[in-house]
Amino acid sequence: MAAQRQASSASQTPHISPAELSYIYTSLSLPGAPIRPDGRSATQFRPLSAETDILPGTNGSARVGFADGTQAIVGVKAEVERTALGIEALTQAEQEEYAAETGGNSKSDGVKQGSSSGQGSWVQMAIEIPGFRDDDALPVFLAEMMREPLVESVAGGGEGGMVGGLKGRLVINRRWHWRLYIDVLLLSQPLSYPLPLLSLTTHLALLSTKLPKLKSKGEEDPFFDDDWDAAEYLYPRAKSTSTKPSSIPGSISVHKVRPPVTLLVVSVAENVIFDPSREEIAVADAVLAISVTHDTDSGRLKLLSIRTIDPPSRLTQPGVPNSENVATLGSTAAAEESVIINPSTGEEEVPGVWRPRRGGVKRATIAKMVKMVLEKGGVGEEVLEGLEGVEVG
Amino acid sequence: MASSAAVSTAPPALSLPPSQFARLQPHAYLLAHLSPPASSQQPSIRANGRAPSQFRVTSTNTGSLTHTNGSSVVRLGDTTAVCGIKAEILHTEDIASWSVSHSSSSSTPNKRRKLTNPTEKPGEDRQDGSDEVEDDDSYIEDFSLLVPNLSLSTGCAPGFIPGAPPSALAQSLSHRVLSLLHSSRLVRSEDLEIWYQRPNLGPEELERHNEDEQMDVDVEQDGSGSVGETREIKAFWVLYIDIMIISLAGNPFDAAWTAVLAALRDTKLPRAWWHADNETVICSDLVSEARRLSLRGLPVASSFRVFEADAASGWRAVIVPDAEEERKIAESDRKGIQRRWVLADPDGYEEGLAQERVCLVIDKDQRQNGKVVIVKMEKNGGFAVDRKELKELVAVSAQRWEEINKILGQC
Amino acid sequence: MTDRRRINGPPGGTRPPVFASSIKPTTVAAERPQRQRQPNELRKIFLKTGLIPSASGSSYLEFEPSASLSAARASPQSVIPPSSSLKLACTVHGPKPLARSATFSPNLVLTTHVKYAPFAARQRKGHIRDASERDLGVHLETALRGAIVAERWPKSGLDITITVLEAEDDRWWADAPDSHDAAWGMMNVLAGCITAASAAIADARIDCLDLVAGGVAAVVADETAERGVSAPRLMLDTDPADHRSTLSACVVAYMPARDEITELWLKGDISKASVGIDDKNLTHEALIDGAVDAARGAHSVLAEAVRESAERFAGLSSGKST
Repeated sequence: MAAQRQASSASQTPHISPAELSYIYTSLSLPGAPIRPDGRSATQFRPLSAETDILPGTNGSARVGFADGTQAIVGVKAEVERTALGIEALTQAEQEEYAAETGGNSKSDGVKQGSSSGQGSWVQMAIEIPGFRDDDALPVFLAEMMREPLVESVAGGGEGGMVGGLKGRLVINRRWHWRLYIDVLLLSQPLSYPLPLLSLTTHLALLSTKLPKLKSKGEEDPFFDDDWDAAEYLYPRAKSTSTKPSSIPGSISVHKVRPPVTLLVVSVAENVIFDPSREEIAVADAVLAISVTHDTDSGRLKLLSIRTIDPPSRLTQPGVPNSENVATLGSTAAAEESVIINPSTGEEEVPGVWRPRRGGVKRATIAKMVKMVLEKGGVGEEVLEGLEGVEVG
Repeated sequence: MASSAAVSTAPPALSLPPSQFARLQPHAYLLAHLSPPASSQQPSIRANGRAPSQFRVTSTNTGSLTHTNGSSVVRLGDTTAVCGIKAEILHTEDIASWSVSHSSSSSTPNKRRKLTNPTEKPGEDRQDGSDEVEDDDSYIEDFSLLVPNLSLSTGCAPGFIPGAPPSALAQSLSHRVLSLLHSSRLVRSEDLEIWYQRPNLGPEELERHNEDEQMDVDVEQDGSGSVGETREIKAFWVLYIDIMIISLAGNPFDAAWTAVLAALRDTKLPRAWWHADNETVICSDLVSEARRLSLRGLPVASSFRVFEADAASGWRAVIVPDAEEERKIAESDRKGIQRRWVLADPDGYEEGLAQERVCLVIDKDQRQNGKVVIVKMEKNGGFAVDRKELKELVAVSAQRWEEINKILGQC
Repeated sequence: MTDRRRINGPPGGTRPPVFASSIKPTTVAAERPQRQRQPNELRKIFLKTGLIPSASGSSYLEFEPSASLSAARASPQSVIPPSSSLKLACTVHGPKPLARSATFSPNLVLTTHVKYAPFAARQRKGHIRDASERDLGVHLETALRGAIVAERWPKSGLDITITVLEAEDDRWWADAPDSHDAAWGMMNVLAGCITAASAAIADARIDCLDLVAGGVAAVVADETAERGVSAPRLMLDTDPADHRSTLSACVVAYMPARDEITELWLKGDISKASVGIDDKNLTHEALIDGAVDAARGAHSVLAEAVRESAERFAGLSSGKST
């Protein structure tokens, strides 16, 4: 029961006293320069170690570990599947014939468009977190949150690009497609909200994913080259210009299209903080998961999805101001307290006394958080650049 | 009036408002209503203001749900049931036992199926009710073509946890609906069958085959003497009947069954035929070609609960009431002291107080001057109701049949 | 594994019907429904509270059927409905004491539960909640928790259950799933859930900061006669069946009195949409603002429904005291 309840919130509410919560909140809300418990700057990420292709039985895999000991492993498996000959498929096949007979009409081009695109349901994601059942709210919510930008990205264009995004890449021909199983395992207890860790690991695993090379042509039943070296990357890479790509890690940025990453951003008073730790997320006013990816055309970052996450600060225990505390009633300390209005929440508060957050988040705050992720030279680019440094393949 | 009756019987020292008295002493509260002091000249009336044999106001609405073949909303007082029927297709090749038991049926003439009947227009009045083959509907039960499920996990009452597996009550209600669907033979098996007329393989027939296959089956059947040899069942319609109890305030079965009845009357199945090239069943999307189910009769369910004045009487030793006891009861009846009441259409409050349950499903045979037919009779939880009382209940249910018939006729 | 607690259909499984018109366009070859509303015009909402007496609070919500759907209802030609309109019932049970085994909570513990009826969508839904239904539950919980003043009920629980009787389509039924296919209908369902749950909570007399209302806005592309797909446009309260493709959509749960968003769910790729044309309005911010405008519209209906609920309650309590 308890686990179920907490699962629904952003993560387990840490057992931090109201006084500590108030202290963390105050230091994080210092105007302009928040002081984080671990001394990072507001946009700095926790150090991590990463490796890819660790599981030989998968099409692609990755492991990422944070310095605090939390680790995640992601394995990607691909299977060939017959495209369901449901109503749509029948529609397509027969309508095209019909269109051919009648000399084509406006319907046929709509159909042709459709035939090159895949379906979101071909990507399946399962997340396993110790202490949670796989149908608990947290794993389901996380899986949907990470799957969504993955199938939503319809980056097109260019040679070596992916027409129709990941979904389009999974189409083999009209009757066959790949089905992608992404299994995410968190190896340790989730110390903080596991989203950033899982997202980064999934990103790397997808980058390293290879599909065997197709030997059949057109509408034949597909068969594949069994030479694993000939396999093609799921996210295609352009021919590297560098002569020795493996020696210089920085030059491996040959992916034209990259899987999206989901960043966890919190706001505390006026400040926006990235990659929050457990204590920081516990006092956050608002928590957003923002998914971004590279836009192949403009070279800028583009937004794929935003989701609010229920901040655990709403479930915390309130502190008791001295003026209401029986033990200190009438003492001089009580008289010194004065009620102020918190500028970000608009609620009356006694400084130094923790109140659980309530209410929502202002539009301006959301805009600010998204801007910090998307802007040129912003945090999003920084993260993607950092990930490109990880040697893949 | 309800409150005045309660106040008059409550001890004067304790002046509780009626609502609290009802909660603290539910049994005494209901009893006080049902047995007003003889001096007051008031009729025996239930706490909810109804007479013992009075049903709650019932209203139905059909066809409001877009994605269903037939749907209905039934409000029985504060109990609300929504029923939606979705039809899907079961290919005979997906039936494991089909090839063994039935595939040869079309070629052997002395098989139990009558093969001339199914193309008869459903709208036509069937006057051959008596000469129908006895096991006509065995397909429905054998292949579970009717799949009713009732859900109480809709927040309809505080006791049911949403998301939990169906409670015992929900399971039993689902099964009662299913068994009533089977035993009442409400749905005709031939309405659910999808036939295929294999074309005679003459050369000119083969050419015309492509146009013919979309024609109605009975057109193809014309003039061909060897019908019985080439017609076969290729698929069945399966009706998924899902009942959501949106609000529960007693007597869910009557509400659920009325909803099923109304939804089945609303159900339209598209015309379907076997497409030999695609090896699948194709449906026409024309409303003009879709047909309604032709239901057998209109079995209406009426539930009753027996409220006993002596709360402990349900626990007495199990003995057949002997003459002495009979005499006592008869005597008290003469004195006008009623010891038990049969309450029609109990609400949630009454259901908690009365153990014995009677459910009558009756129909009126239209062909025989509205003769009352008992389709099903269920009685459990006690032994207060005897033959005489059951007869009276049948009469009450017959009245209820008229009511429901009228209500369903309106929508 | 078969579900022993339910009545199962044929063990071999059944298939949904395939219609002839989807194979060969016939005379009644249905046409894509057209949006008859202005881009910023919202559908009418039917919202009523207190229909379920055994619950502490309840509400029923229905979206106005689209023009094509009501036309199809009036003179049915095809058995395939052109579109559908949201219908859902919401109940609130509580505040009630937590289970004995539950740990102490200084705040009201909210449990949200969204379930589609098996007949709610074009495809039959299972009896057990699937991932999308659980996902909706979490979204709804986030939206409501920000609005409820939870510390007034320590050690208590509040169960919110929503039964979706009819859901919105994700796309027009005859469209092949295209590159933009996704569960767009789910976002409309969520907006409806938020508004309905808010009414039911108010009907249960739980203290809230404000009535939180749900709204949807989307960037959609339509078919035009001349050149296939038109330029994407921003529209409020979209019905996915009306449009050729939905590029991006956004739901918000919004509290007008505080101008705050308790729940934001935006998805879709609009980078392509804003590149081709010079419309600088097609940004995620415009999308959020559009959804907020839609939520403001829903709020007016919500306020009316809650006023009715309050009047009924006042009438009830004054009746009791006499």
